[in-house]
Amino acid sequence: MKGNGTIKKILGRNEIPVLLATILLCIVFSFASSNFLSAYNIYNVTRTAALYMFVALSQTMVMIVGGMNVSLGYTGALCVVACGYCMQELHWGSIPTVIFALLVGMACGLLNGLIITRLHINSFVATLATQFIFKGLVTGISEGFPYTQLQPNFTALGRNKLLGLPLMLFLAVIFLVIVWYMFRFTVLGRKLLATGGNAKAARMAAVNTDNMLLIANIFSGLFAAIAGICAVSMNGAAQPTTGSDWMIYSFAVSVIGGTALAGGVISPVGIFIAGIMIVLIKNGLVMMNANIYYEQTYLGLILLVAVSLGSFSIMAREFKRRRDFIKTQKTE
Amino acid sequence: MLEVKNITKEFPGVKALDDVSIQFHTGEIHALMGENGAGKSTLMKIITGIYKPDLGEILLDGKRIEIKNYKDSINYDISMVHQEIQVIPKATVAENIVLDKIEHFKKGLSVDWKKINETASEYLQMVELEVKPTDIIENMTAAQKQLIQIAKALSANAKYILLDEPTSSLTNYEAENLFRIVRKLKEQGCCIIFVSHKIEEVMDLCDCVSVLRDGRSMGTRRMSEITRQDMVKMMIGREENIHHMGFLDVKDEVVLEARHVGKAGMFDDMNLTLRKGEILGLYGLVGSGRTEFARLLAGADPMDTGEVFIGGKKAEIRSMVDAVYKYKLGYVTENRKEEGLILPFSVLDNMTLLTLSDLTNGVGKISEKKAREETEFMIDKFSIKTPEMETVIENLSGGNQQKVSIGKWLLAGCDILIIDEPTVGVDIGAKQQIHEIIWQLARDEGKSIILISSDMTEMITLARRIIVFKDFHINGEITGLNERVYEYGEVSSMLGAAMM
Repeated sequence: MKGNGTIKKILGRNEIPVLLATILLCIVFSFASSNFLSAYNIYNVTRTAALYMFVALSQTMVMIVGGMNVSLGYTGALCVVACGYCMQELHWGSIPTVIFALLVGMACGLLNGLIITRLHINSFVATLATQFIFKGLVTGISEGFPYTQLQPNFTALGRNKLLGLPLMLFLAVIFLVIVWYMFRFTVLGRKLLATGGNAKAARMAAVNTDNMLLIANIFSGLFAAIAGICAVSMNGAAQPTTGSDWMIYSFAVSVIGGTALAGGVISPVGIFIAGIMIVLIKNGLVMMNANIYYEQTYLGLILLVAVSLGSFSIMAREFKRRRDFIKTQKTE
Repeated sequence: MLEVKNITKEFPGVKALDDVSIQFHTGEIHALMGENGAGKSTLMKIITGIYKPDLGEILLDGKRIEIKNYKDSINYDISMVHQEIQVIPKATVAENIVLDKIEHFKKGLSVDWKKINETASEYLQMVELEVKPTDIIENMTAAQKQLIQIAKALSANAKYILLDEPTSSLTNYEAENLFRIVRKLKEQGCCIIFVSHKIEEVMDLCDCVSVLRDGRSMGTRRMSEITRQDMVKMMIGREENIHHMGFLDVKDEVVLEARHVGKAGMFDDMNLTLRKGEILGLYGLVGSGRTEFARLLAGADPMDTGEVFIGGKKAEIRSMVDAVYKYKLGYVTENRKEEGLILPFSVLDNMTLLTLSDLTNGVGKISEKKAREETEFMIDKFSIKTPEMETVIENLSGGNQQKVSIGKWLLAGCDILIIDEPTVGVDIGAKQQIHEIIWQLARDEGKSIILISSDMTEMITLARRIIVFKDFHINGEITGLNERVYEYGEVSSMLGAAMM
């Protein structure tokens, strides 16, 4: 009996449909293209997926408290430029560069958080404004040129492997586990969730909700910075154009992965699976020689299906309930 | 005549309506009564097309009608005025009145503002409301918004008007005015379906009453042939009893004292003392400043002037964090669903929200075992009915939700509790349990409690000293309730006098 309950619980989890869809995609693509299961392709897919997981974590951190961050792409870009500038112009070593880039990301998050909590501006509007500030800084500092003279060991994270899989994927998993632990077992995590679940009620339960918003935004900046550092390490150069498409993917991965847009719910497992799924779709379409100019359309449709799943299942349940009820009444 | 016949409606796990048949006649005010969860709202929602009945039919003047949505109900001259007053705050009075039929007010491609405002003022006159059609609704009183909603119903030619708990946020004077209008509409041939749980106003106003209990109809009776006791019995299925709870052991020790507390635009110079083991009532109408004052004491809002002493020492309460963790003062909010609980969270998560830091081990990991123990303890102590502690709190009944809402402050070790409208939206059975809980906290555990309520029965049952609020100042104080047994009527007339 107990075993049955556990299985039922696992099957009832929200991540299951996404997982099944991902597996299905894998099967379809592996038949459609012989290169799909090649070691090289798997490495590439999982590496890009890891990048998107960090991008999604950045968005998730603020979605948890019921907010959003549209500036995360340019936060990441600013960190990318910070990496390039520190190494090329200032000749810093890798470690101080990484630390500085992380600080830059957190400072961006702090700025967002301060605007949202102190000036009482809606997170969408606040980050919409700061996105331009960050974008301007990126272009102004880099003048649009990539930084190519990096420390030789800086590409280790983005290009090395462990057990045939990219190091970045392991890093992403480590962070996902940390995030899972934080939201399940620490006071800070629970209070962040409570703030997103119902900010008013959390405030009336002596949670300093302004501080929670601030912390969530700093975390968001931190993960954007990590994503930026990963991007530099992968590309072997600090491209100021990095991050321009991150905002869309951050929402896609978070929402498909089961993070509630309204706040209060997080699923690190979902982020992991959804991260892989999104990249699979992009990759599979290329492999199948689909017209990649329409790539975003496919992604949009898939996102739409993913967010509708909840509504579909509610409609189906309601329909079934009414049908069963009317049946029982007729037989009486 | 509007008739519902053999209506059955089931929600997962509960039969909200079970074979309910009622006839509503025009030219009558028909009360629909019942406790919370008895099925009143569900029936209203079926009549207005928001829900579809699983079985049964609706007949209008003997003809079967199909109400598929709210628009259909308007076409059949049925209109509803909701309890949570639904207006668009930034729009004008006229816009709100004509919104559901704005397509009739077109001139070419644009909207005919002149006609809209003329029509609106016609109906505003019918409800005797002196506002301009072009006024913005936002800052109007609840009573005014209510009348605007009635005007809206009338402008849709409604013959059957459903009023859902219309007096819940009105003063007595405003309610009297509303009743006058309702009687006038009756004379004009409307049928008013008056949903309420206030027996006095129903007896005063209505021609007949139908009672629902647990989704079943308990029958319809003429008002002339039924007594108050009959009605209570129909509603709760047994006799009502107001029994005296006894006396409290109030110590001389003052646990909380507010001196010269002021807040710009609200209070100046408010003073109050609370003794150990006391239940102090703050009585008054909704909007008389009771809750606003309590929020200042609890640190939910900042006070501008004055001092608070807790346990004889001056307290620095800058936030609720200070109030709870430094001074063990908790505030159970009146607004359980929006402020008291995080509805999508489990019983466990809601219960332990205040005590998370106490549940951690050396490295900051929350112990699930400890959290479960704490929750289990409170579930036992208050006999909270929940399938399991992981159950999402939204699925619990109002009474059980309220117990969690109170319980979390006790887990946080609060000695002073401000409890605001503890039994709003709670049925009579659970209400008595919550009264027992509050009483025992004061009598057996020596907690000091400030009870805020606009329910006179509740106030008289529990409070042993009552401060009466009116228009943001203290208008009177009733003492001596802990010295001898008073008749219900004695205290209620003292309260009435103190509100003058």
